[in-house]
Amino acid sequence: MAIQVQGITKQFGTYRALDSVDLEVRSGELLALLGPSGSGKTTLLRIMAGLESPDAGSLQLNGEEALGLKPRDRQVGFVFQHYALFRHMTVFDNVAFGLKVRPRDQRLPAAEIKRRVMELLELVQLGHFAERYPAQLSGGQRQRVALARALAIEPKVLLLDEPFGALDAKVRKELRRWLRKLHDEIHITSVFVTHDQEEALELADRVVVMSQGRIEQIGTPADVYDHPSSAFVYEFLGQVNRFDCTVEGGVARIGNGALSIATDETVRGSGVAYVRPHDLGVAPAVGGPGRVSGVHVVGPDARVEIELDGLNLEAEMDRERFTSLGMVVGDRCTVQIDRARVFAR
Amino acid sequence: MTSILKKPSVLPGFGLTLGFTLSYLSIIVLLPLGALIAKAGSLGWFGFWDAVLTPRVLAAFQVSFGLSLVAAAINAVFGFIVAWVLVRYQFPGKRLVDALVDLPFALPTAVAGIALSALYAPNGWIGKPLNELFGLKVAFTPIGIAIALTFIGLPFVVRTVQPILQELPPEEEEAAVSLGATRGQTFWRVVFPAVLPALVTGFALSFARGVGEYGSVIFIAGNMPGLTEILPLLIVIKLEQFDYAGAAAVGTSMLLVSFVMLLILNILQHWMRSRHAR
Repeated sequence: MAIQVQGITKQFGTYRALDSVDLEVRSGELLALLGPSGSGKTTLLRIMAGLESPDAGSLQLNGEEALGLKPRDRQVGFVFQHYALFRHMTVFDNVAFGLKVRPRDQRLPAAEIKRRVMELLELVQLGHFAERYPAQLSGGQRQRVALARALAIEPKVLLLDEPFGALDAKVRKELRRWLRKLHDEIHITSVFVTHDQEEALELADRVVVMSQGRIEQIGTPADVYDHPSSAFVYEFLGQVNRFDCTVEGGVARIGNGALSIATDETVRGSGVAYVRPHDLGVAPAVGGPGRVSGVHVVGPDARVEIELDGLNLEAEMDRERFTSLGMVVGDRCTVQIDRARVFAR
Repeated sequence: MTSILKKPSVLPGFGLTLGFTLSYLSIIVLLPLGALIAKAGSLGWFGFWDAVLTPRVLAAFQVSFGLSLVAAAINAVFGFIVAWVLVRYQFPGKRLVDALVDLPFALPTAVAGIALSALYAPNGWIGKPLNELFGLKVAFTPIGIAIALTFIGLPFVVRTVQPILQELPPEEEEAAVSLGATRGQTFWRVVFPAVLPALVTGFALSFARGVGEYGSVIFIAGNMPGLTEILPLLIVIKLEQFDYAGAAAVGTSMLLVSFVMLLILNILQHWMRSRHAR
């Protein structure tokens, strides 16, 4: 089911959480709402679910106006950051909840409910835990129960609010791969909120980058990472070096002219150049302009800090290449920019 | 045995605090109760039952325990509503209402009893219209006793339920709603079961307070033997007649019944809590 969001605006007191947001979620896709806290992403998700109502705008679920609908009539599954499982119910009863509260004439027979719930628990690999209580499960297991509970009502849309936010790094990674696999199997239109760019880039079909109640960019993970449309997106997605520069005749000069790069941007005069650490080429050179001021080897990557003409740069390369260069702190070097993006100030 | 008592802990002073607790409880609680039972024991087995199993004492048992249960039940319902309103809604004067709830704790119970009996007496502000319109007599009947016990027991329910309601995460209710539950289903299936253990605690406290209550009841009860005479009053009457052993026997039997009832409530509660304990 597709979701159409048009001109959605929401104000909390004097704080504008959403400022006329337009967004289309395509049927069957897995979409990430990515942004720092306070960017309005969770508010947007809650508005889709009907847990919050906007001040203005329209929301269509599958072509039908949905803002007038109560949450329970929207056929939306919602997964909360802190699971929100019913503490006094077993895992089975949690998952069965949505089926048991249906009006009598729409309710499935008990045997059918039992079959469906067990099927879902198998799907989330928790078949043996049906009689446990949420307090007896780990964080990752609880979130899988929450997911099964949301899927039980056969929602047309699945909305997930920072679903991995409360889990530790390893479980988070496992669960996210698993969710991607699950989505590839059942193809339910899904929207998830995250502030973790790695999560969004790895998991989503398309990423919506938000900031201060507005959408900054919508695109595939590769799109938004390689071609950020604004300075904000550049800074938010991944590590980046940020330099003040002056642009003249298609060349951006950084600092006092120690570094420069050709640019085809339409920027003139003063601007800001963004360079990813892996787009900085570093080579050792006796008497070179740069000086290696720090080295951090983390797993397979090496991060090299360089001082050049009063600027502090960060370059990144794989560990093997770093070893072959044979640089140590204090060495002189040359620096070359392979790729940069320049925005007007 | 030592392994049960002495698990290694970073907190020092286990021996000291346990010793203090036991001696303190012995002096404050066990010693007087022991003295009471010893005094009752002076009657001998048959003498004890002779003192307790009289129609007057049995009727007082019914009045005290029956009406305490009624009052605790009323408090459970309305105390829950008060706590709900105080937690869920913002309204002018909320702090005042919140403070008002504690008044029955602070007010001398005799004052409460006199005020209530003045209000509900056949010529009182509330008693008079009730009597004229419905022919309902409140003061000097069991209804009056129930009202007094309700008055003094209310804060117990409100103050035990309130913090639990406060800490209830709104997400659980939102989850229920997004799963298709109506407001009623959300309340009865999600909110109420989460609050139930606290409600039972409040009920038990209110009940226990009611059984032991003396000051407020004797003014409104009328104190007719067999009808509106409560156990604590009966004990005082026995004392005034220098029947110390008989008073102790009634007290001991009260103690037994209360203990059993509170034990049952505690077991019930433990069972409910253990199901979703962390």
